[in-house]
This record gives sequence, structure tokens and C-alpha cells, in this order.
Amino acid sequence: MNVKWLHRIKLVEAPVMAINETKQYTELLPSGKALQFFFPQEVKSFITRPSPGLTLKGPGFYEISGLAYSGNGPINKVEVSADGGKSWALAALDAPVLSKSFTRFRMPWNWNGQPAILQSRATDEAGNVQPTRAALVTERGESKAVPPVTAVLAGHFNAITSWATNPNGEVSHVYA
Amino acid sequence: MSMHERTATTILLALALGWGTAIAAEGQKFGQPITPNDFAAWDISIAPDGVGLPAGSGTPTQGAAIYAQKCVTCHGEKGSGGSGGALVGGGPLSGSDRDPAKLIGNYWPYATTIFDFTRRAMPWAQPKSLSNNEVYALTAYLLALNKIIGENDAMNAEALPKVRMPNRDGFVPLYPGKH
Repeated sequence: MNVKWLHRIKLVEAPVMAINETKQYTELLPSGKALQFFFPQEVKSFITRPSPGLTLKGPGFYEISGLAYSGNGPINKVEVSADGGKSWALAALDAPVLSKSFTRFRMPWNWNGQPAILQSRATDEAGNVQPTRAALVTERGESKAVPPVTAVLAGHFNAITSWATNPNGEVSHVYA
Repeated sequence: MSMHERTATTILLALALGWGTAIAAEGQKFGQPITPNDFAAWDISIAPDGVGLPAGSGTPTQGAAIYAQKCVTCHGEKGSGGSGGALVGGGPLSGSDRDPAKLIGNYWPYATTIFDFTRRAMPWAQPKSLSNNEVYALTAYLLALNKIIGENDAMNAEALPKVRMPNRDGFVPLYPGKH
């Protein structure tokens, strides 16, 4: 199959409620109601550096960087925390900042060698803010399925991701 | 998404993609324009209000006979389940089980979806091989098994869209007012 053979598109006035639109792309909530249609990836970001596997080599200056994106439009801002969300600072965004596209963010950080929890929190142009994991689980429920990092049933997990660094500079995923 | 449903998605894409006949106003001309007859076989989406439903009719009793022949191997006796999954039952959607089975009786909001999916995707090895009467009969059988219609209720283009599914009001917009 290849998009070059795209030949005919049928437009309809309303959803036909095929299996994809009813059973599949819906997100069941703890109340028993389901969100429909669950197509867009909501505003999301995560830190790619440092991250599990990218170990810090002793105290000193580092650049925290990561990616943000939203299915609802361009990224408006990204904040970064090094204390598990107690305090936040505004990250710099790399151009171009395009709708529904990866947006690179950067933040200088002076690591004192002590345990830290790194988080990023993105806001999109529509004003949607990335929720905490706890807030998202409260609203959407939590899957028992592995891997636990996705947590939410349909896999649209857009909550804040937390990386913990230990005094050895090793980085691991934590719920914070 | 089960293997069966993924294949159905592929078929939906195939509907949009057509086969093999690129039409360009200029340049080399390969193949020939697709004709209405050619794409009619792919233009089979059924809307929840019944738009697109073909002529024909079928009863649960007729459906049971077809089911025993073409469906029971994968879906079990009376839809009890097998490699193709169960077609009856389904527990409550709220509560401690956060991954409940999403079945016709406890989740699907529209009866027309049963017709649409069965016709385009079933039986697994011979999709689109069922006649419209057979699809109506199987749809009626599944609705009766789930006790959504009576055992003698025939399904057709008029009756099917009027079937009220148990979870019809179980959905809320992700973005209120925005889609």
C-alpha cells in the first residue's frame, strides 16, 4: 500500500460510528462513561537529556533538553522543574515552533550532586496545560497493564514525566 | 485493537486508496479511470441513522444457522468466545476493573456498527463474502443473544437503526463543542 495510490476520499456529514470510532478510539473513564473521539494527542512533553541511560558525570553545569508537542496546535511554553514540581522556570524553545510538531526546549541547570527530580510541563496555544500523573490518573483511571509508564488505558498518556537522579548521576523513571 | 479489527482498518484504508489506476491530467497515463461499479464494492459505510443500509432482511433464527456454519469456530457457542473474542456479555464499565471487555452489549453505542463491521470484515478468512440477508440475520442473532431485541425480531434497513443499544448514552465528547 502506498499513499501515491490515494484515489478517492468519501466525505460524510457526520461520523459513521464505525468500530474504530466507537469501540476503539474512545477512552473509558472511571465513571463508566467514555471520551469520544479520542484522536488527538493532548499537550505533552518529556525530558530527553538527561534521561535513563544518560548518566550525569558529577556535579556541574548541564543543559536539560527535551521535546514538547500538542495535537491541538503549537506549543506556547515549556516549564522545567528540578525539585519535583515545587518550583518551575521557563525553558527556551528552539525555532521553528510549529503546530502539532516536536518543539525542542532547553534549560541550563547547575547540578549540586544531590538527588533531584526533573520534570517538564508544556502549555499549548489553546491554553491546555500538561497535567500531573496523579491528576490524570484521578480523571481517567489507571490501567493494570504493563508497561506502567503509559498508565492510561488508551495509551494517550500525556502527564508530566519525572526523572530522578541519584548522587551517582544515574537517572531513573519515578512517579512524582 | 484485535488482529481482526486491524485488518478491518486496512480494508477501510483500501477503500480510500483504490487500486492501481492513477489518473493524471498530464504525463503518462497508466490504467484507466475507476468506474462506479468498481468502487461501489468499497463504498459500504453504514451511518448510525441507517444511511447506506442495503435492502434485505434476516431473523435471529436464520442468523443462528449461519453462525453455526461460519462464526462458531472463532467466537464460540452462542458468542461465548474463542480466538475471535466473545460477542455476548460484558461486565460493568465503571468500577475497579479498568480494562473491561468492550462488547456489543455493554459498550457499542449503535447497532448499525455490527452490520458495518460484520459485512466488511467477517468471516475472518472470507471478508465481504456474506450476502446482505446473511449480514442482517447475523446482526439480528447477535442482538438477540445480547437480549437487545426479541428472538423473532427481523432486522432490516428500517428496523436496525431503531434498535436502542444499552450503552447508547455512554459517551461524552473529548472536547465539548469542538468536534
